[in-house]
Amino acid sequence: MAEFLQHCLNALILGGTYALLGIGLTLIFGIMKVVNFTHGELYTFGAYMVFFFVMVLGVNFFVGIAAAMILGIVLGALIEFVLLRPLRGASIDTTMLVMIGAWIALQNLEQFTWSGIAKSIDHPFPVEPLVLGAVSVSWIRIFVFLFALTLIAGTYFLINRTKLGKAMRATFQDRDTAALMGVNINRICTATFALGSSLAAAAGALLGPVFIVMPTMGDGAALKAFAIVILGGLGSIIGATVGGFILALVEELGAGYISSGYRDAMGFGLIIIILVYKPTGLFALKERIG
Amino acid sequence: MNTTATDSAPILSIENMAVHFGGLVAVSGLNFVVHEKKIVSLIGPNGAGKTTAFNVITGFLKPTEGTVRHRGTSLNGLRPNEIAERGVVRTFQKTSVFDGSTVYDNVLTGLHLRGKSRSWEILLNLSRVRAEERRLRETATEILDLVGLLGRSRELASDLPYGEQRLLEVAVALSAEPSLLLLDEPVSGMNPSETENFMEFVSRIRDRGTTILLVEHDMRMVMGVSDRVIVLNQGTVIAEGTPTEIQHNPEVIRAYLGRGSADA
Amino acid sequence: MSRWFTVAWVAFLFSIPIWMTDLYFLHILITTGIFTIAAISLNLLLGYAGQLSLGHVAFFGIGAYTSALVSLGFDLEISDSYTLVFDPQPVWLAFVSGIFVSGLFGWFIGKIAFKVRGAYFVIVTISFAEVVRLISLNWIDLTEGPMALNNIPPFTLGVPGLWEQTFYQKIPNYYLVLVITIIAYIIVRRLVLSRAGRAMIALRENEALASSVGIDVTRYLILATIVASAIAGAAGGLYTHYIRIVDPDIFLFIYTVTMVIMVVTGGKGSLAGPVVGGIIFGILPELLREVASPEVQWIIYGVFMIAIVFFLPKGIVPALTAWWADRFKSDGHGGKAVRDSR
Repeated sequence: MAEFLQHCLNALILGGTYALLGIGLTLIFGIMKVVNFTHGELYTFGAYMVFFFVMVLGVNFFVGIAAAMILGIVLGALIEFVLLRPLRGASIDTTMLVMIGAWIALQNLEQFTWSGIAKSIDHPFPVEPLVLGAVSVSWIRIFVFLFALTLIAGTYFLINRTKLGKAMRATFQDRDTAALMGVNINRICTATFALGSSLAAAAGALLGPVFIVMPTMGDGAALKAFAIVILGGLGSIIGATVGGFILALVEELGAGYISSGYRDAMGFGLIIIILVYKPTGLFALKERIG
Repeated sequence: MNTTATDSAPILSIENMAVHFGGLVAVSGLNFVVHEKKIVSLIGPNGAGKTTAFNVITGFLKPTEGTVRHRGTSLNGLRPNEIAERGVVRTFQKTSVFDGSTVYDNVLTGLHLRGKSRSWEILLNLSRVRAEERRLRETATEILDLVGLLGRSRELASDLPYGEQRLLEVAVALSAEPSLLLLDEPVSGMNPSETENFMEFVSRIRDRGTTILLVEHDMRMVMGVSDRVIVLNQGTVIAEGTPTEIQHNPEVIRAYLGRGSADA
Repeated sequence: MSRWFTVAWVAFLFSIPIWMTDLYFLHILITTGIFTIAAISLNLLLGYAGQLSLGHVAFFGIGAYTSALVSLGFDLEISDSYTLVFDPQPVWLAFVSGIFVSGLFGWFIGKIAFKVRGAYFVIVTISFAEVVRLISLNWIDLTEGPMALNNIPPFTLGVPGLWEQTFYQKIPNYYLVLVITIIAYIIVRRLVLSRAGRAMIALRENEALASSVGIDVTRYLILATIVASAIAGAAGGLYTHYIRIVDPDIFLFIYTVTMVIMVVTGGKGSLAGPVVGGIIFGILPELLREVASPEVQWIIYGVFMIAIVFFLPKGIVPALTAWWADRFKSDGHGGKAVRDSR
């Protein structure tokens, strides 16, 4: 029983960051209809930025995380502006291929810059875990969980209570009408991509210190993000959040009770099953995002 | 495919069709028949349910209720390609051609149902496959000649001027050898002389044995070419009869033709 | 491209081992050929049927592993008391099994994946390949996992008793790969220029319209998948009996990306495209080996693919064909050349 609770707790903690990944992608996917293969690279980028600021420059840990997120916004905006804006109106295949090219270039750029050796990031939290009866959890993970929740809440607020969010929702529902109503579609797309990218960067920034940092860490993250988007339904923040936690839970329990080698396969198996029975996802909201 | 049926038997019958989209009722209690070798027009204001009815008849939409019968057999639950196999083919409201392909290839693709080579036969390049291919190519040339697009064979469909694209659409639909052809606003955007030519073309198709069900707003076309007119409003039939009868039907005049005759 | 050009080109390819003495370069040509076959198969699905299948390497790998396992034989513990013992089979039989099993998986995944379209379809195909990779990595009893299957026998052709030739050398392997490449090309060409091919192209260009003229969309999508996966399986079989070692890395997504880059830059939806793309991306890494590390090379490829999508969206071969047609034909239409060769 204790083992089960531990798995659930782990899943809860991990689920928060998975949710960030998923929300970022579902926004980009939903509003811009782009298969964003660079999402994983933003995750990697976030982690490497924290590494750079904290381990190389010696900056404060929390500032490092904030810096990573801000740079995530910048990189996301840059990618959108240079690669996607010129292709506005192109088919989904075309943008997908461009994103694949960008993904390859970015990942190898990371590899070239930082080499393939895994890196670790020091953090200011006590190493001894907090013990709560039969289960235990490390302080850094508690921080990650809380920070992720804050970001999720913040994003939800942004999408549902601000003018920018309203414009994004309008674009999601009906791009042409939104344009006619005065929404600057170009700016919304850039903002969406930047926001989604910074969430991925945040996830990477948070998990980098928990695990280790490698150039290929984004690949697994990207695939999980796609799984979450499918699980939760395109464009649904709530769906992506719930999806993130479900995926984490399925992974934890699957790895714990079935086989740890197949941990990552759990997510994919889940996607395939969902797509066969309910292709629009668990929370498909065609009409709105948020 | 084009088996002769008695002229008075219905080739298409819509029985109690209803289509609900959530709370919105697009079509309800829709009943009408279309007889063999006639041109029947479906008219009514936007939102009356005409294209919805087309979508249901051709399998692109499942009705909430009701049955669609083609020569007595129900089409319910069949996929669009199965319905096409039975001889019911449609065109689309928004110009729909295979835009990356040439005019010739468009028609050749439309002839799909007239071939029956299996994949393994194709891979072995059997002589009957090559013979069938030759036959299909000849037919494509004939059809293009019939509609007057032979000279444009090698052009890309997307490069054609608008009027000819719509002509191509009908040519592609005809290639599938339908006994019943459904045309969705075929002359919208055409100028008067193009519309004249099209009306003549449609009559020729009917004379060659194909029944035509037409959705159209252009009243000159509707009155000029139809054997029968069915008027829809708010998802149900409010009047039907010959063009003259409809023109003089007070209910119809009141609601629609007031606007229509100004356009004609 | 005219008949003469094709004949001359094929004759040239057949002549290479005669005058090319550098065996290493011959090796490069062989691996290029194997990847080109995979690219040709992906082109059918991606270029002609228009499906963004990004799990294609799975079929390559399944073909490779099946052929390896059938030719090596294996023991599989089904339960405590029963072990399935599979004796080693002749290589040609293993090769055919690889093709068959790949095709079977193609059919199976096609049935599942084509319930959805667009981006969801992409994700299903990627997931499928990842699951297969993880299975090959973890089902050690069958696949040896990361320890790899090795000592795989090379191809043996001939009539038993009369004459037999085992392909240890590079030269016979080169001819074998060349012949299979030509067969793969012919298969795709015949299919694409036929009624079935037109159906596939139609469903790519306008699915609703294709359906309305009687084309069974699902049927042709699955047909394209089966043929594509079977051919990819053949490529995998060739790989396995040439390199003679196979490990789970064969399923890495990067190989699918390589195939995609080959098809897209060469020209998706054209017959010669994957061949040109295959040659470029098979040989280019060798040429660049001295001057650029693998990472830098991949950065270049990534940027190159982006550039192609921006400037030559149809790919190199269609762009060249159009340019050629523009220069030499004067249709009276001026700039617009007609795409004749599909």
